[in-house]
Amino acid sequence: MGSDQLAELSRLLYFPTTLMLYLGASVVYLYALTTTVGRTAQRERGRLAQRLGGILAVLGITAHVAHEIFRGLAQDRLPLGNMFEVTSLMALVGVVVGLIHLQFVRRRPELNGFVLLGGALVLGMAMLMYAEPGPLMPILDTWWRPFPVSLLVGAMGVFAAAFVFNALYLLRDTAELAVAAERSRSGGGSTVGAAYVGDVSDGSVTEPAADPPTSSSGSSGDGAELDPDDEREHAELLAYHRALRRGVPAVKLAIGPFLGTALVSWVWLVTADTWSAGLGRFLTVNLTMVAAALVARWFVPFLPPTATMDGLAHRTTAFAFVLWTVGTIAGAMWAEVSWGRFWGWDPKETGAFLTWIAYAGYLHARATRGVKGRGAAWIGVAAFIVLMGTYLIANYVIVGLHSYADL
Amino acid sequence: MPESALPPQQNPPVRRRRAAPSGPVAFVWESVLLGWRWLARMRTALYLLLALAILSIVATAVPQEPNVPSTVTTWREGEAGPGVGVSRVLDAIGAYDVYGSAIFLAVLLALYISLTACLIPRIKAWVRLVRRSQPPVVRHLGAQDERTDFVTDRSPAEVRAAAAELLGRRRWRVRRHDANDADPRPDQVAAEAGLWAREGGSLVFHLSFYVLLAAIVLGQLLTFEGQRGVVEGDPGFRDTAVSYWAYSPGRWFGEGDHQGGRLELERFHVDWVRDPLAPGAGQPTVFRSDVRVTPADGEPFDAVIDSTRPLNLDGTRITQLDWGYAPRVVVEVDGEVVHDTFLTPVITDGGFFRGAVKAPAADPDVGLDVFLYPFAPDGEDGRPVPTGAPWADAPLLVFQQFRGDLRLGATQQTINELDVEALTSQGFGALRLGQSMELEGVTITFPELRRWVGYQVSSRPQVPYLLFGSVLLVVGLLGSLYAYRRRLWVVTMEDGAAPRTLVTVAGRSFQRPEAFEEEFADLVAELMAATGGAPAAPHPDPDPQTPTATPAVETTR
Ligand code: HEM
Repeated sequence: MGSDQLAELSRLLYFPTTLMLYLGASVVYLYALTTTVGRTAQRERGRLAQRLGGILAVLGITAHVAHEIFRGLAQDRLPLGNMFEVTSLMALVGVVVGLIHLQFVRRRPELNGFVLLGGALVLGMAMLMYAEPGPLMPILDTWWRPFPVSLLVGAMGVFAAAFVFNALYLLRDTAELAVAAERSRSGGGSTVGAAYVGDVSDGSVTEPAADPPTSSSGSSGDGAELDPDDEREHAELLAYHRALRRGVPAVKLAIGPFLGTALVSWVWLVTADTWSAGLGRFLTVNLTMVAAALVARWFVPFLPPTATMDGLAHRTTAFAFVLWTVGTIAGAMWAEVSWGRFWGWDPKETGAFLTWIAYAGYLHARATRGVKGRGAAWIGVAAFIVLMGTYLIANYVIVGLHSYADL
Repeated sequence: MPESALPPQQNPPVRRRRAAPSGPVAFVWESVLLGWRWLARMRTALYLLLALAILSIVATAVPQEPNVPSTVTTWREGEAGPGVGVSRVLDAIGAYDVYGSAIFLAVLLALYISLTACLIPRIKAWVRLVRRSQPPVVRHLGAQDERTDFVTDRSPAEVRAAAAELLGRRRWRVRRHDANDADPRPDQVAAEAGLWAREGGSLVFHLSFYVLLAAIVLGQLLTFEGQRGVVEGDPGFRDTAVSYWAYSPGRWFGEGDHQGGRLELERFHVDWVRDPLAPGAGQPTVFRSDVRVTPADGEPFDAVIDSTRPLNLDGTRITQLDWGYAPRVVVEVDGEVVHDTFLTPVITDGGFFRGAVKAPAADPDVGLDVFLYPFAPDGEDGRPVPTGAPWADAPLLVFQQFRGDLRLGATQQTINELDVEALTSQGFGALRLGQSMELEGVTITFPELRRWVGYQVSSRPQVPYLLFGSVLLVVGLLGSLYAYRRRLWVVTMEDGAAPRTLVTVAGRSFQRPEAFEEEFADLVAELMAATGGAPAAPHPDPDPQTPTATPAVETTR
């Protein structure tokens, strides 16, 4: 096969194959999540859906890996040479690490949908920077060039996962606080979610899904034979879900991510060739993020306890921080060999430094009593904005030494 | 009663109250104490880090004089950037050289003082912890995070010995306790691990900043860095203070510290993907110099420098930075040669190379603004068509000729730029390789085309120390994030009813509970294997009279 055909094949594997598989797997998983709180028949369907999601996810990862291999073959070098390749690999690492972590370490496969959704989003973003395969400038082609870049790319993927956990944590926490506030305002007279709000307000959140009220309906799975008590509990549960969703105002949730994303995505506006192309990209990215936020809002009732997501965010950030630290040091060593200086405050180095500082701020906040929880999560979100912002600015807006490399 | 007969504790020394501030000395002292305490707060450190981050954003947004002096000049003169007024403000606050500015140094200093203020008490506490801490012995196991019960037919003492041996092998701090009349707490082995690693790791991490700072400061003082272009086949240059085009020695780097070796460029190889349809068309594929090096006191030898392999010579490193075509341009005025050297033009965004000829030997001066198009083949009408391609298959030298005053020495100018202020243009010319032409009495010849390479020569004694600091940083970071402090108790009881021993293993972890969960299961399994234990329902607490309570352990994070 010629390199043209290889390139074509790798492109097709990426888009639409991988993208569609990730999206499909994510949709199926998210559907499965909604059935974890429900009648037995539904839960059975949920289990099937999870299995289907797993198959789609594995197929998607296989296609993604094949894409990387064919692209590498087509251009006869590691696919880590430009923004598209780096971003694509970042998604792959994020998806694989995230899925393995949730499936085997945390044993919470029902959350896989969020990881896959994040992967699909990053993959879609990479499409905006698609570049045909080609050789690398030799000045940057040292034998250990892959080290720093792959470490930083891996770290970016894991940071992205941490961002998702932080964002979901904030969503769920906001919803729970709102429900608790509503309940205390109405003096406990409301029946909405009465069975569960108590768990919420005393701080030790127990997941309603962990003990579904329908579990008493027998194993036959025939929803038609539910006793009236069950029906009432089920209705209460649904009311609680609605209350949680109401706790996060949709308009605010649309505006927040739009503005937050705009802090980063203005880069498309200023760097695109034509004004309309820039606006198109800007709106695509922003509206996708808004849509993701609104979808996440719908899933708020099915999210695990806030403590779980807080812990996940912390652990993933800590891991990524180590990767980032080692990657930055390796990058400095690489610069020392290639350019005869280890640190020159060029845009990419400044970006790496800023990101490092931002996430150190998060770790510090976590380590100090008092800033735990929401405060730390917001710092985590801000740090991710710093990461994406410096990455895009350094690559597109400011042209420094490293721009030869496209990272 | 005479005072001396009183037991000492009845007459405790009165703590002297600190005197109220009086006088300027006390005021200064109080302020210093206040400042120190403020700096010792972690929140302050976070603000300082934020300030550092903001400064480096400024440094990214505003061109930096040490990196791009020409851009800064255009900003200062108002040709680019936000205008002269804003530029003055930027200059005043040092925004054109953020990393050398007073504000940056002040923030850095404050950060280091803060770090010191923060670390001193932590180090003291850590040393105390490591030296004094003993695993606490419990009265009741109460509600522990992890607990397993099992029974075995070994004697309690045997079980405890096995547990102590097992834990000792895994490098836990072990403390045995046998119940007695004075201390009725149950027979047990208490153990603790990860005591020093987490906090110690964090300390090493933060202390590594001092190593890095020391290495960087030392580096600033002891390094030297110089840049110099060399034309193929030319005599090259010697490593002396005066031979560099750009030269920046550290404060403690003297002229005598130069090695004095000589570098010649024999041949420079560069090539590209030339097929315009191939992937990566136009990108370079080779970028390598064959050089001849003559050490100050040694035999000459040949070496290769490419982008991945700089040349190391007695602690000096030679890196290949950039390159260009080196056209030889001969200028004759009235039959007299006033200029005959290789130019070293630099590549521009348009893909051509731009340089200058300056011939002050003529009267008036001759200046040429030179544009070299490496690949400008003849078009259908026979006229050269410049392309952006960098390979020199059809080089074309285009120039604009000036006469007048070059103002050499009067103004700052680079070797590739003319100052046309006092010059008059006399028209344009274009030459193929080997051609010659006359313009207004000046004969220009383009007899030869070579290449030149820009080298950076640097001496960096700080690099190994930086590496050492980085290793400390990473090791410390791993400890502070992944080490975890945990405690374990193995309590044994004789079963009143049968000749067997009831064993309870319980433990808790201060961090990373999920990691401890696995370790705990592992430990229990090993202990059961060692003592032939069998699983059992939870045993009653050894001392049922008193209500159970969590043992007094301070809970941190
Ligand atoms: C210069 C950049 C700095 C970085 C990157 C940094 C990073 C870190 C990290 C990663 C931790 C571990 C957090 C954990 O155990 O979960 C930590 C802890 C800590 N840092 Fe820093 N640090 C920096 C500067 C400082 C400074 C200047 C201070 C002094 C004010 C400081 C005070 C502390 C303290 C007190 C802790 C321990 C918190 C605790 O264990 O409760 N750090 N730091």
